[in-house]
This record gives sequence, structure tokens and C-alpha cells, in this order.
Amino acid sequence: MTTIATEFAMNKDILIKVCTGTGGIASGGEAVLSSLKNAISSAGIESTFYERCSIHKVGCRGFCSRDLLVDIIINGEKTTYKNVKPEMVPRIVDEHIIKGIPVKEWAVGEEYYTFHNKQTKVVLAHCGEIDPEDIHAYRAVGGYEAVGKALTSMSPEEIIDVVKKSQLRGRGGAGFPTGFKWELGLRIKSDIKYVICNGDEGDPGAFMDRSVMEGDPHSVIEGMIICAKATDSHQGYVYVRAEYPLAVKRLQIAIEQCYKEGYLGKNILGTGFDFDLKIFQGAGAFVCGEATALMRSIEGKRGMPTPKLWRSAEKGLWDRPTVLNNVETFANISRIILNGADWYSNLGTERSGGTKVFSLTGKVKNTGLIEVPLGISLREIIYGIGGGIEGGGTFKAVQTGGPSGGCIPSEFLDIGVDYESLAQVGSIMGSGGMVVLDETSCMVNTAKFFLEFTQAESCGKCTPCRIGTKRMLEILERITAGKGEEGDIELLEDLGQYIKATSLCGLGMTAPNPVLSTIKYFRNEYEAHINEKKCPAAVCRDLITYSILEENCNGCGACKRACPADAIRGVRKTPHRIDPDVCVKCGTCFDACKFHAIMKI
Amino acid sequence: MEKVVKLQIDGKEVKAPAGMNLIDAAELVGIHIPHLCYHKGLKGVGACRLCLVEIEGMKSPVIGCNTKVREGMVVHTKTDKVQEIRKFVIDLILSIHPLDCMTCTKAGMCNLQQYAYEFELKETSFTRKKMGYPVDETNPFIRREPEYCILCGRCVRLCEEQGTKVLEFMGRGIESMVGTAYNKPLLESGCTFCGSCIDACPVNALPEADRWRKGREWEYEKVKSVCLLCGNGCGIIVSSKDGRIQKINTGEEIGSAKKYICAYGRFGYDYIESETRLKTPLKRTDGELKETTWKDALSIVADKLKKAGRGAGFISVAGIMNEDALTLKKLAKNVVKTKNFDTTISLYADGDSLKNSQTAIISTSDLIVLVGLNPSQWERILPALDASIRKRVNRGAKLIVINSSDIKIEEVAIINLKGNEISNLKGIAKALIGKGLKADRKLESSLKDVAITEEIEKAAKLIIEASEPLIFSSPSLFEASANIALIKGKVIAVGFESNARGIALMGLTTDGKTYKEMLNDGLKVLYAVGEVPLNKRPNTDFLIVQNSHLTELAQQADIVLPSATFFEYAGTIVDYLGRLKHLHRAIEPVGESKSHGDIFIAISKIMGATIKKSTEEEVKKASQVKTKLASKPFVRKEGLDISPNELIESINRSVIHGSRLLWLKEAVGATAA
Ligand SMILES: Cc1cc2nc3c(=O)[nH]c(=O)nc-3n(C[C@H](O)[C@H](O)[C@H](O)COP(=O)(O)O)c2cc1C
Ligand code: SF4
Ligand code: SF4
Ligand code: SF4
Ligand code: FES
Repeated sequence: MTTIATEFAMNKDILIKVCTGTGGIASGGEAVLSSLKNAISSAGIESTFYERCSIHKVGCRGFCSRDLLVDIIINGEKTTYKNVKPEMVPRIVDEHIIKGIPVKEWAVGEEYYTFHNKQTKVVLAHCGEIDPEDIHAYRAVGGYEAVGKALTSMSPEEIIDVVKKSQLRGRGGAGFPTGFKWELGLRIKSDIKYVICNGDEGDPGAFMDRSVMEGDPHSVIEGMIICAKATDSHQGYVYVRAEYPLAVKRLQIAIEQCYKEGYLGKNILGTGFDFDLKIFQGAGAFVCGEATALMRSIEGKRGMPTPKLWRSAEKGLWDRPTVLNNVETFANISRIILNGADWYSNLGTERSGGTKVFSLTGKVKNTGLIEVPLGISLREIIYGIGGGIEGGGTFKAVQTGGPSGGCIPSEFLDIGVDYESLAQVGSIMGSGGMVVLDETSCMVNTAKFFLEFTQAESCGKCTPCRIGTKRMLEILERITAGKGEEGDIELLEDLGQYIKATSLCGLGMTAPNPVLSTIKYFRNEYEAHINEKKCPAAVCRDLITYSILEENCNGCGACKRACPADAIRGVRKTPHRIDPDVCVKCGTCFDACKFHAIMKI
Repeated sequence: MEKVVKLQIDGKEVKAPAGMNLIDAAELVGIHIPHLCYHKGLKGVGACRLCLVEIEGMKSPVIGCNTKVREGMVVHTKTDKVQEIRKFVIDLILSIHPLDCMTCTKAGMCNLQQYAYEFELKETSFTRKKMGYPVDETNPFIRREPEYCILCGRCVRLCEEQGTKVLEFMGRGIESMVGTAYNKPLLESGCTFCGSCIDACPVNALPEADRWRKGREWEYEKVKSVCLLCGNGCGIIVSSKDGRIQKINTGEEIGSAKKYICAYGRFGYDYIESETRLKTPLKRTDGELKETTWKDALSIVADKLKKAGRGAGFISVAGIMNEDALTLKKLAKNVVKTKNFDTTISLYADGDSLKNSQTAIISTSDLIVLVGLNPSQWERILPALDASIRKRVNRGAKLIVINSSDIKIEEVAIINLKGNEISNLKGIAKALIGKGLKADRKLESSLKDVAITEEIEKAAKLIIEASEPLIFSSPSLFEASANIALIKGKVIAVGFESNARGIALMGLTTDGKTYKEMLNDGLKVLYAVGEVPLNKRPNTDFLIVQNSHLTELAQQADIVLPSATFFEYAGTIVDYLGRLKHLHRAIEPVGESKSHGDIFIAISKIMGATIKKSTEEEVKKASQVKTKLASKPFVRKEGLDISPNELIESINRSVIHGSRLLWLKEAVGATAA
């Protein structure tokens, strides 16, 4: 083995960070990681080099549309590579690490920095920066200092006071002020009390909590320990859906490390305070994320909500006083304790302190996980961080709050994002889903899509949610199939209002939101479907007709060959025609034609 | 006593005990809050959303089934808003319900039907849809028709609360349904076919399997009575039509989960008309039993008894009524003038333990101690006791089991004391005294060398902390158990037959030979009353069998007298908890059968004496023994340990073999094999 260490590589501190969140792993993170290790150790650099060159697995950093992301930091100078594949690794190692010249064309562009620079990272501050499987890495960035402070120098009342003043509100959806919840938890006396972290995250497409549990698990645990101290509780559960194996694994590692280092168990940090923490893997039903259903599920019963006769603070898990918070809520705590209530509350609005993580998806250029101060406008999120509408389309609406949120039209783009403003326009904060829709989205179909999800996930316990959502869905199915009748819109509105007013839990109480809000802002689309039997966005299959625009058609026959139903007639080099009686409206010809001759209306 | 709360419901002042929910409180003043998922006696779960009411000062309506009364509350149960909501809920349910009320067996009793009527809904305003669920007809007791199910969950909760845990929710959304684990047939799911779920269901989703075409609800004549098939003596409601029993339900008012009856009580009645039912007296002529008249049969009986005098003996089961027992005693003692009259209780109890047992209520007890007893719904030994204990435990009461064998109900006990029952009872007594409770000197000094284990210590602590400890003891351990009750709590000896306590109180306990002795001592005349647990003719010159059915023993008798079943005449019993319970005639006696009491009266008349029909006054007087518990040595009474299973199967042989219960016996036997 020859030893050709370049002058450059010899004297530098080299830090490599590879995203190995669920998204990163899906994009080949592990393969890239091992080819990096191979390439470096076989580069023939002397042995101390490998030691100096530290390679880290890190959590997700949000910009998932450009995965896999790899940071190479040489003497503090960072270059981020996007869409990294194992076969790209040798060149990066050779040119950048050994010779010191970054591979420019593979590095992230301007949009990456816009995406990040416009965010305010509190919860996600360490995600993508530190190794989540290493408690020392967490400690190196100030981890567990807050536990030290809270356990040695603060009384439960003082902790609660800080959390109250910070204006932190529950990030699980409802936005209940966290400090008040804890205060209630402390006030009720009992020899056994529980602290539960809700990591069920059942919203389809949501991955905020997962990213935190995978990327910075210690921050969640730290928040829980402080909560336990504040509420005089000694037992805790992290409820994670079983579909999140990586989150479970990282939490497990983190909990083991905590027991070893004395942050969990008996006599934490010698303060005499005890706290035990366990992971509970949930079966992964959407409704199990609801607080009471979640507790029944831990008790081994079917995950069905129960009426809140006693608030959980009094009778929760196994009828014991229980404080339950969301993952993100807990992850904020240590930073609030260290930086102070004012710092946090100043980040947000008057009534909602701090930041919130959203998953920005749909028709925006930059999709991914973002963290922004509460009160930021929708416009800033979509056009600033998101970089505007993908493919040059026009904005139509943004759907917030997950499957039970509402659709917000462009006239409200300038409202500030907080619990009250979103509710005012008929939507919710929810857990932070944000789907951007452009003119190619049919609003009736969008509403149907979300309702399909909630009605299938209804636990079936209460009448309005079990039967009512199904009846609403049937009406939407009818409308999108061109069988809508006069009066359907009013019927939907009626049903929706009743279901909201009478359901037992939040699922039923919010399930009609997508329908009601789209009726409110896009009633004309419903009317078009019902009265004219047309889908303005040309999405609803039963309402579209495909035809060929003669002047564009040169008779190449591509469409004819592609059509699976043999619905296209015509001789080569003369304009073709679609037989509407045979056409199955699959849209294959639309994609096959290179001359924009196929029309979809 | 519980605190009383004052509130106002629809303008009426209501005084309700603290902790009561609004549905029950409204009912106190005659106001009905519509509800479907709430079941009196079970916790409200808020599933149907029908019971929403408005409370002044609260933004949105709240559910009545799970909201407790509070001082000064002002409740409105019939505002436009909640009425509209209720109509909406019923409308939705109708959109997924088979609207075949014209032929539905539940019609007339169906809560949904009633509400549809009240809210003037002839049809749903939504599109109606069938789910197309198959009907479950895998057993002769309960039909499951999921298509009717409104998912109120009453059956699930009731079955769970009583400890059988057969039913559960499955699926999500509109496809949610009630089923069994892995969707297996009820028989394979641990179902005991008690039919509690039948009574719980507000609609037609769980009817009796044979209910179709057995009459409509409003055609029935309903009679409150008592089941006499086992030691629990449960209240029942018997529905009959055209002189035949069509169905039996639990004795509690409809819409309440408080009572339990087992498969015997609910489905055993088929036996009334089974093949072996006796319709006329029989007498042995030329070695064969032949039909005869009452006059002939009774004159032979009277003659034989007169001649035998002191050499005659009477044995009876303890499932006869108090009035029968009093008459029988008079016949034996005053007319025939024999000292030999005894019952099957002597196989498992001494009269004193039953007589001295106290009166108690399970539903308020917070600690139950079970000594030497093995109640089991699955084996149908004191099944209602098993169900009641499990219900209490599910409501927060605690159970201590003291039993040298492993028994099923242990699974819900907080403490299980194994090993010798007497030593454990001694230990507890000593621990109680050690903790400062008072006991008499004699008792205290008899416990000097007794060892106290940690578990015993814990049990004693629970007894001290409890406000109403209740000890159920096997009669053989009664005196030892009573020593604990003398320090704290109440004690009851539980017999295995319905009127064991009544029989003891009426004094039908022998002055001469015991039940067992009479079987072997070669009496001149032996007179067996009821389905005594015997297959072989005992050693006697002349055997009279008086029973409703032709049993194996009856086939070997010289005279057989047909008696009426307990559905066919009125009377009283004293149940295991010490309550006087009334039986009423539900149907006419089959054939020429007569009540036991009437037969005894007729015999004495022929013998030239008059016995008056026993009255309730007489029964009450006989029941008034002052129970004096006195400390006794800690010993187990010997010779009382028969197998309860065998006894119960044997005294109910005609019931089991003459009804669909035979299916169960054979099916259970087949799965066990
Ligand atoms: C149908 C339904 C699903 C829910 N799913 C979640 C979830 O996945 N994660 C979560 O934290 N909260 C979820 N919630 C909200 C919880 O009930 C609860 O309010 C929250 O976890 C409390 O924590 P917080 O105060 O920190 O927000 C859900 C609520 C409903 C009604
Ligand atoms: S609202 Fe839906 S999910 Fe919630 S309890 Fe009712 S049926 Fe279940
Ligand atoms: S018959 Fe009894 S045990 Fe069987 S399912 Fe019904 S309630 Fe449960
Ligand atoms: S079977 Fe009857 S009692 Fe059981 S859930 Fe259905 S409707 Fe309710
Ligand atoms: S009775 Fe209260 S919700 Fe059903």
C-alpha cells in the first residue's frame, strides 16, 4: 500500500455528515455511508487520517426532495452535496477531500440556502447536525444542561412558570397551552402519575415527529424528564407507531444511554429524583393518536376514544393522573429552560410562542420539513421557503392540518399562521401538514380524498362519525362521478355541521373540515360538477372527455398505439379521432402525444 | 350515606345522589333522556350521541350518560338544538338499518323503533345501504344478526364486565362490527350462553335463536318469578303466550344490566314439555308402571304411609318452595308421625350454617372474601355469584380467595391464599386482632400458635380498610369463617340449591334419620320429593317418587306422583343472600300435575288430618330466626364435600336432557375431548 497523503488532507479537520433518517435511508444513505468509509480508507491516506476524518450519521434536515444530502465540512467550510449516489462517492473523496476542490456541479444550489435560511430552527436545530445515536454529540451541543438546571435549581412551580410564560402550546394539534396542562398535572396528587409522549403521528404524509425522534431523540427524552419533574411524576411512556422502526431503535438507544449516564432511573444526577421511561409500540391506527384512545391502547384495550369525563390530568392512563404531550412539544422544552421564556415567546405571536414544524408538500418547488416562527404568513412559507409553485402553475389553495384540516384559498395567503387565524378561515393547525394545490387540483376530489381517509380511520364508536362520514363520502363519490343532484351541497353542509357538533372525539369533530372549507371557498367547482357535469380542473375521470385537436395532430399514431382500449381511429398522417363510446378515460394518449393534440376537458 | 345533590332538569327540582349521571337523575323525576348506548348499571361511554343535553353555562351540548350531577346544575333535555341532533342521529342509524319492523322479532321492545316513532322518522333522509353481513346460526341459543347492530357496545361491555369477555369490536369506520376473537363461533370463544347480551341489545342484533314466530312482544303475558335450578335463585321474567313459555329474560327491568341469569335459567324451560314429563300418576302393576288416577294413587300412598308410621321416611331436594317445605314437614311430623324427613342440603351443609348466615347485598360490598367455594359461570356452579363478584371487581371492589385448590375466579382476586383454609382463616383472625380489632377472649387465646404470612397480613389489612367486607363461605367452613365476621364483616354460607336457606329456615331438617341414612336403612316406605340425585332404587320396601319428570329413579318406583314445575305455581324461596323471593305462576300445570304442597295436603286429607295451605305469613315467621354468631372452634365440618358439578347436573338431569342445554353439554364435552 502506498502512502500518498496530499499536503492538503494531512492537516485538516474533516467532518462528513450523511443523512440517515428514514428518507435518507430510502435514498441509499447506508450504501453511501459505507462507500464513503471504503473510499476513504482505501484512498491510501495514512492511518491517522481516517481517525481525524469523522463520518457521522445524522437525522433528516428537511430538504427531502434533494435527498440524499451529504455535508463535507473541511476546517469549518461546508459544502452540501445533493442527490448523492454511491457511484458519486469516489469522485467526491478524490477531488474534494483529498485534493480540496469541491465538486461544484453536484453541490446544492441557491434554493437549498433559501430553503434553510428563511427558517428558524429550534426543534430541528440539531436534526441533521448531530449523531442521534450518540449521547455525547447531544451533550456537546448543550444537551441535558436543561435537565441539570431544572432538577438542581428549579422547583416544579418555577419550571411550570417558565413554560407558561413561554406561550408554548401543544404541537399535537389542539394547541392547548402546555404550561397549564402541567400545572393541572402537578396540582392533582397521586402516588402514581404518568407522563406520555405522543409519537403516533398518524396523518398520512406527515413526518415531523418521526424526524425529531430519529434525528434528535434525546431532546424528546430531556423534555419528558423536565415534565416529570414539573408534575411530580416518576413513570413515562413514549408511544411510537410500530411503522417507525428507526425512531423506535434510536429512542431505544437513547434511553439506554440515559440509564447508563444517570439521566433516567433512580436518583437522577444525584438529585433524588426518579423517572423511568419505556417505549410503547402502537398498532398504528390514526385514531390511536387521540389522547384517550392512545391511553386505552397502552392499557391493552382497543384504541377507542373515551369521553373526557375527567380530564386526563386527573384520570388518564389506568385512571391515574397523566400528562400527555406531543413529540415536538417535548422537544421544545430544554431550549425554553436554557434560553428563557421570553426568548421563546418572542419568536412567535402574542398568543402562540415559538416555532412550529410543518411538512411542506404538493405543488411547491421546495418540498420538505420546515420550521418557522408562528405568525409567519402563508405567502412567506409558500413563495419564500417553498420557492413558489412548481412548474409555473398558479396557486389555488393550501390545505393545512392533515386529513382533517381545511383548504385555504389565495385571498388568505397573507394571514399569519397560528392556531386562531387558521381556525378563523375554517382550517386547523393540526400536526403541521401543508399541501399546496394549484389549478390542476380539483377541490371536490381533494375533499373526497381526505374524507376517504378519515372515514376509513374512524374507530366506529360513535354514530355521527361512523355513519355520517360514510354518507358524506357517498355524496362526494356521486358528485365526482357525475351523478350529483341539486341539494347535494346543502346536504353535505348539513351533515358536516352535525357531525362536527356531535362526534365524540377530535377525529369526527374535524373530519368534515376539508369538505366544508372547499364548499365555502370553491362552491363554484361543486356546482360545475353537479349542474354542468364538468370538472374544471379536469381531474374527475367520469367528467372528462378526451378528444383530438385536428390542427395539432399530424397523424403519427403514437396515441393509437398507446391506447389500451382501442378507442382511437385514424389513418397514418391524417388527423386521428377518439371514439367517446369506447374511451375508458385512462389518459394514456394524453401522455403519449408529443404535439399537444390531445385535449382533456 | 351518599351525598345528595340538588339540580334542576327541565324546570323540575331534582335531588340525586352524588355521582349519578344525568340520564338516571332525570328518570327520578320522570324525564326520559333518549339513549341507545347507555345501559343502566353499566358505565356510560358516549357512543350513540343521542343523550346530548344542554346545561346552562356550557357552550355545547354534553352527553347525559357520562355527565354527573352537580349542585345547582340547570339542565335542559328537550331544546330544539338537542332534539334536532337526536333526530339526525336516528336518521343516520336508519340509513344503515334493515327497516323491516313489520316482521322483526324485536318490534315492540326495540329502542330504535321507539325513537324513530318519537322523532317521526318513517324512513331515513339519506341513501340507505346494506352491509350484507351473514347471520350466525351456529348454536341453538343466540342468533347473531350483525346487519341490525347499531354498535352501541352494550353487549360487549356487559359480557366483559361479567368476566366472560367473548364479544369485541372489530374493524374500522363503517365496517366496524361486534364479533368474537378471530371471528370464531360463540361456542369456541368461551361463551357460556348466558344470554346476557340478548337482554342488553336494544335492537334485533342478538335475539334468542328460536325467537322467530314465537310471538310478538305485545302478545306475551309477562310474569316475574325466580329460577330454581341452582343455588343462586335468580330473578327472571317469564314471557308466555297461548299457555306456553316463549322466552325467559333476566328479572331486572329491561334496560338494566344489574342482573344475571345463566343458560339454565334462560333456556332450560324447554324441559317443561319434554318427552319424560309426567302427566298422570303411575303405579306399578305386574312389575310395570302404568297410568292411574290421582284418587287411586293417593289412597295407596296414604295407606302405605299410615301403616309405616315411624318407619316411613321423606327425602327431598332443596329446590322446592318454602310453602312446599312447610307442608311436607307437617305431613311427616304431624300426620305420618315420623321423625325422618331430610333434604339434599345435608349432603353439603348443616342446617345451622345456612340458618345463621347473614343478609347482605353484593352490589355495595367493597371487599369480598371467598372461602372454599368455586363459583363458575363456565361450569354453571353458582354462576350468578361468579358474575356478580366479577362485576363488583370491575367496579373497584377487591376479592380475596381462600381455597386449597386452584379455581378460575382466582384470576380476578387481589390475594389468593392457598393451602389449608382453616390455617389461613386462623391467620387472618390473628392478624386482625394484632392490628387492634376486638375479638372475644376465647377466640384470641385459641390463636396463640398460629403463623401469619405476609399474604395473610395483606389480607387482614384489606379487611380493615374495607367498609363492607362480605365473606362467602362453603357451609363446611362457615363456623371458621364466622369467626372472622365476628371481628369484622358479614358472612354467608352458600348452598348449591336454590332454596337451601329457605329449607333450613323452614326447619325441614331431620329429627331422626338423615338423608343418607334413609337411603340405606331399609325403611318401610321411602318418599322422594323432586329430582333427588339418585339413579338406583334405595333399599326400601315401598318407593314413592314425586317429580315432574320420569327419572331413572322414578322408573324403579312403586308409585310415581306427577308434580308441577316451578313455572306452574306460586310460592316463595329464601335465596343465598337471605332475600325472600316470590315465584308466580307463569303457565298452568302440564297434564294432571300438581304442586308438591297440594299433593301433601291431599294425602293428609285421605289420612284424616287437615293441613292448611301454608301462607306467606307462616313463611315469614319461620324465617325470623335471630342470627346469633358466636365464636366457635376453627374446624372444618366433615362429610359435606360432595362434587357440586355432579350434584347440579344430577338434580337438573331432566332439565338438561329435556332441553337445548343438552346441545351445550354435548358440544362442550366434544370440545373437551
Ligand atoms: C384523531 C386524532 C388523531 C390525533 N393524532 C395525534 C398524533 O398523531 N400525535 C399527536 O401528538 N397528537 C395527536 N392528536 C392530538 C392528541 O389527542 C392530543 O391532543 C395531543 O397529543 C396533546 O399533546 P399536545 O398538547 O402537546 O399537543 C390527535 C387527535 C385526534 C382527535
Ligand atoms: S368521532 Fe370517530 S374516531 Fe372519534 S370516537 Fe367517534 S367514531 Fe371514533
Ligand atoms: S351469551 Fe353471555 S357469555 Fe356469551 S357472548 Fe353473550 S353475554 Fe357473553
Ligand atoms: S349487538 Fe346489539 S347490544 Fe351489541 S353492539 Fe350491536 S346493537 Fe349493541
Ligand atoms: S346514551 Fe349517551 S351517548 Fe349513547
